[in-house]
Amino acid sequence: MNQLRKTVLYDRHVALGANMVEFGEWNMPLHYRSGIVEEHLLTRKRAGLFDVSHMGRFAFRGKGMLPFLQHVLSNNAEALEVGQCHYTIIPNDNGGAIDDAYLYRFVEDEYLLVVNAENREKDWDHFQRILKGFEEVEMVNQSEDTVMFSLQGPSSKLILTGVIDSGSLPEPIRNTLSIATINAAKVLISTTGYTGEPICFELFTTSKDALTIWDLLIERGAAPVGLGARDTLRLEASLPLYGHELGLDPEGREIPILSCPLSKLGVSFSSLKGDFIGKNALMKQFEALKKTIKRDYSLRVDLPRLIRPVALAGRGVARAGAEVFVEKKQVGFVTSGTMVPYWKTEGRGLSSRVTEEKGMRAICCALLDSNLHEDDRVEVEIRGKRVEAVIVPFHLRSEAPPHARPILWDHVFKEEEVFSGATVSEKVHYLLKKTMENTIWRQTECINLIPSEQTQSPMTRLLSIMDPAFRYAEHKRIKAFYDADIFYYQGTDFIEEAERLLENELRLFLSCTEVETRLISGQMANTAVFSAMVDYLNRADRKSEPRRIRYVLNNHIMTGGHLSAQPMGALRDFVAHNPKTEKPAVVNFPILPENPYKIDVSACREIIAEYKPELIIFGKSMVLHPEPVAQIKSFVDDLSVRSIIMYDMAHVLGIVGPYFQEPFKEGVDIVTASTHKTFFGTQRGIAASNYKEQDEHYEFWEAITRRTFPGSVSNHHLGTMVGLLMAAYEMNYFKDEYQKKVLANAKAFARALKDSGMDVGGDPDVSYTETHQVIINIGYGKGPEVARKLEENNIIVNYQATAEAEGFTVAGSLRLGVTEMTRFGMEEENFRTLAQFIHDVVIKEKSVKEEVKSFRKRFSDLKFRFSGKEFDAVMERLHRLI
Amino acid sequence: MYPADLKYTDTHEWVRIEEKTGTVTVGISEYAVKQISDIVFLELPSVGDNLKKGSPFGAIESVKAVFDLNSPVTGEVTEVNQAITDNLDLLQTDPYGQGWMIKIKVESEDEFEALMNAVDYENHTRNA
Repeated sequence: MNQLRKTVLYDRHVALGANMVEFGEWNMPLHYRSGIVEEHLLTRKRAGLFDVSHMGRFAFRGKGMLPFLQHVLSNNAEALEVGQCHYTIIPNDNGGAIDDAYLYRFVEDEYLLVVNAENREKDWDHFQRILKGFEEVEMVNQSEDTVMFSLQGPSSKLILTGVIDSGSLPEPIRNTLSIATINAAKVLISTTGYTGEPICFELFTTSKDALTIWDLLIERGAAPVGLGARDTLRLEASLPLYGHELGLDPEGREIPILSCPLSKLGVSFSSLKGDFIGKNALMKQFEALKKTIKRDYSLRVDLPRLIRPVALAGRGVARAGAEVFVEKKQVGFVTSGTMVPYWKTEGRGLSSRVTEEKGMRAICCALLDSNLHEDDRVEVEIRGKRVEAVIVPFHLRSEAPPHARPILWDHVFKEEEVFSGATVSEKVHYLLKKTMENTIWRQTECINLIPSEQTQSPMTRLLSIMDPAFRYAEHKRIKAFYDADIFYYQGTDFIEEAERLLENELRLFLSCTEVETRLISGQMANTAVFSAMVDYLNRADRKSEPRRIRYVLNNHIMTGGHLSAQPMGALRDFVAHNPKTEKPAVVNFPILPENPYKIDVSACREIIAEYKPELIIFGKSMVLHPEPVAQIKSFVDDLSVRSIIMYDMAHVLGIVGPYFQEPFKEGVDIVTASTHKTFFGTQRGIAASNYKEQDEHYEFWEAITRRTFPGSVSNHHLGTMVGLLMAAYEMNYFKDEYQKKVLANAKAFARALKDSGMDVGGDPDVSYTETHQVIINIGYGKGPEVARKLEENNIIVNYQATAEAEGFTVAGSLRLGVTEMTRFGMEEENFRTLAQFIHDVVIKEKSVKEEVKSFRKRFSDLKFRFSGKEFDAVMERLHRLI
Repeated sequence: MYPADLKYTDTHEWVRIEEKTGTVTVGISEYAVKQISDIVFLELPSVGDNLKKGSPFGAIESVKAVFDLNSPVTGEVTEVNQAITDNLDLLQTDPYGQGWMIKIKVESEDEFEALMNAVDYENHTRNA
């Protein structure tokens, strides 16, 4: 074993009791004292530390680096901004893999490529050969002077945060990078890994600093993990391993790169990439793959088999090389397989918990005929016996951090029992009773702090269920009649009048010229505006394929941006793809480092100049400050960028005015909103603009009305429209007092929460908030649990993921809104009492349910509404008419 | 170190001879259990199977590899310890007791002579 190569960490491995084995040219730890199974489980529950310094690290520099990398790698290297990395493959001319790799761009003028240990020399030689045809590319082998560690698992973030002395962790999404120092040594950090863990890091540093950093991480609680568990963890995550899922199959034939589902992420045909090694073969594979996904096997010759995760249903362990059968026909091979451990869970959904109990399961990846699909049964031949197995979609899911969650093929999802009455009468009684109980609980016993909710006044509620709640009133403006609205149904005079009155009230409220009121939700309002924008952009050419919106500037969802203004929400079908990033053409407002709830205005100018967004979308669902509309508008004008500025005011419609923000005065083109969060209304949506008929963009407004009807609604829910008219009367009459009170209450609430010792988000100089919302930080990952605890104490809030969270399951904040309770009459001192209740539940873990119930009884009369004797008789008659 | 009342094979199976009934109980040594490490699966024969000395009667699998279990004698399987296939920890905690694997009705007691005693087996593991 003398001639085997050792990493810098060799002595540490031996001291930690490692079982050192030969791995290619290397002497590496297979496992430490605790063994593979234990190390696998430790990584999944806490954090595992892997020495992966044996992998090859090549740096590329020089003017020619990008053309070279685009030529020898399958992914689009140009898509990487500084601070990003991606998976890529080193293809050969036949569309097979020489190796798979990761490409990192830590700094502007250098790319770092990490390749498999066993392919180091082969990859180097391959690059050297190709390099001869390129100019000004410098390739440097850094494998000897640097080390690479992988830190993976739920606790890894805490461990790493604890050892960093300057710099920061990368953004909490996959494939991001940062540079930090640990013990004064420079460390490059990426959010990547080979375990399927949602919280995962890889670290690069120099060999001389390696030991100190390794020791620090172990000291902080990372468990050393050897190659054995590295393999079982990657198998559970169905990540390919060169020599198994890539390279040659068990019969010695080359596996086409796109046989592997993950390869799709590592192969790009972007127009910016140009020609590259293996492109033609990969294109053929891709055409075949697209057909195969649609279950058309006519191009099967180019992609005969695909790698699929397979779970064993019978007893046995499938190993690499085992043959797979369907009846008598051999349909493929196992490429990797063993028995892996997992932590059992209990409970369901968000409240499911990882237990201390372990299980084992036999899983594998198999290269199978492409006409086999998920849920198909196959048989694996093990020592001459056929063992039943099933093709599964995945073995593990990573989208609910902090844990990677095992998915068992035979898990039975138990639906919670729901009431099923024996007779219709029982069912009817049950429903009536439950509705009554729920209404009593939510209306008289709970403190509701959900900022997007609002109890409506009795008049608003009653009007919403009267006739015309059951009617139709489609209408459209017709040019032939001088833009008169033409209705398609009879009996609609009342609703026509109500709709006109509603438009007037809302125009008055927003100080604008146009309001579309037929939209029945805020999200629908956004969809209608985006759809109208595409229509408007294509107004000069109706014959060609319409193009989508090129570049949208919006708030990132993790810094409070609306779901509906994201590509995953309403924007999806209307935003173009950027050929460089091959992702939706969306760029986010930068945030202030010292206040993540505020847009970094000065940094926006450069972004607007670079991206020239056609649409700028303001508005957030986690909102503490007015949006910097006027400043951004001045940049747009200065730079002569033709951007439409839209403000999604769903959360703040009810506080529009001099105390918060007046969108049209500041230069917004379009406002969209829902009408039931801070506004008093029924649950609907609106769009508004201040365009005049002679304005250039008035056609855009007309497109919005067309994309409302007939684009989005046929029936526009006439009952709640009448209800909304009453709410608009209430708002216009009471807004001055209501808005001042809401903003004062929110500030008082925030200060009281802070004084009680809680961590309140935002800027202390403005008492933390300039809206109806207050954010409290209760600790990474604790959001869902604390929100549930508050609900048990009759305080209803919602948990909120903020900028540092990887996802909603590790939300560390609560979002509180004061509007509904302000409307029920709560004053600043009452919010101070409430702050104490919250403190008692969250910090002291006390039960305050009974106190909250009796406190709530003091606020039973809804304010800011019309009431009194003069309305009693007609209200009484309306009730009787139901 | 290894129980003196047992015999051993060079492939690390142990054998307990019950002269009266002409049967043997078979398991694997503590040394083998440690060497294999991370044991995840055990495949044993069925009652009534005929075994041949030196041929596999089953397999033991770790996370990383599969190992044959070799029959120390020729004969018929009379009993199989089903309890251990579901509780592989018994192989570690009690390899010579509850960790037994199968019982075999032996054809010829002559075969016992080729098996090692505890001292020879210990030497064998040292040289392995």
